[in-house]
Amino acid sequence: MPEVADPEPLPVPLARAGDPAAWDALFRRYQLPLYVFVFELVRDESASLDLVQETFLAAVKHLGTLRDNAKFGSWLFGIAHQKCRQRWRQRTEVLFDEIPESAGEWEPGPDDLLIRREEEAGFMNLVAQLPPPQRAALLLHYVEEFSLEEIARITEAQLGTVKSRLHYAKRALRKLLEAKNENPA
Amino acid sequence: MKTPRELLLARHRAAEPKLDALRREVVAAELNNQATREQSFKVSLVTSLLCCSNKLWRELVWPCRRTWAALAAVWVVLALVHLAQRDGSPPALAQSAPTAGMILTFRDQQEILNELFADRSVPAEVVRPGIYAPKPRTETVALLAA
Repeated sequence: MPEVADPEPLPVPLARAGDPAAWDALFRRYQLPLYVFVFELVRDESASLDLVQETFLAAVKHLGTLRDNAKFGSWLFGIAHQKCRQRWRQRTEVLFDEIPESAGEWEPGPDDLLIRREEEAGFMNLVAQLPPPQRAALLLHYVEEFSLEEIARITEAQLGTVKSRLHYAKRALRKLLEAKNENPA
Repeated sequence: MKTPRELLLARHRAAEPKLDALRREVVAAELNNQATREQSFKVSLVTSLLCCSNKLWRELVWPCRRTWAALAAVWVVLALVHLAQRDGSPPALAQSAPTAGMILTFRDQQEILNELFADRSVPAEVVRPGIYAPKPRTETVALLAA
């Protein structure tokens, strides 16, 4: 995943000083991944755009609370995740954290998942069908390659819970892809 | 073959123009806010100073305007008197020489002060009382009678 690597350090100190060009660079770097994350959680284009905008505005307002400049990305996704949760609670009253996740453990290892063109729609459907907590963990893992600790911080969950969520999500994904491979028709 | 990240980003690439517009809007708002914040600080400083002076005028000066005017007139008169005195001869106190009576009184005062602050310290052996030795009451009474 070469797109994830940042060759230049993020201009967070300049943004702290109120430099609009620094803010522009920061937002340009994260706007699409953030939108993907938000859209896949709320499944509504205009709501996603609103939430991204709210996230940006909150970031400008609360940058002072960010302690480590290197963690700007996970901090920004944390704000977006909170906004999605608020929206989710307002809309459906389904609590993000109350889906039972007990068995199963995330096993760290090489992530060689590749999706063929004919599997793309199935993959997207599967992502959409996952329960929100698993979906959020999977998206953060795939879209920005956040570490388990970072995902736990963003989603305000325990590390074990995040491992379990990712385990379930990836198992479901592999099942889907294997089933497609067995029955290509 | 695509990685999940590539697939997810490619799916939403069409939203980029909207995201660009949104980003520009937020950055412009931030820039605008900064300018407004700086300007509003200056404006608020001037406004608060004006407001403070206005309040002082209304609450402290205007209700007692006659008193203030009278005080001002007194001060003006005092200043004029002071100026008039300064323009004339030197002050009378500096001009007059002390009389003989004044010199005598001064000397008396000086002597009294000298007596008051004179060193009254007495050698320690004179002042120190002897070691008290208790005696029977009858002897003490006899001593007093004698």
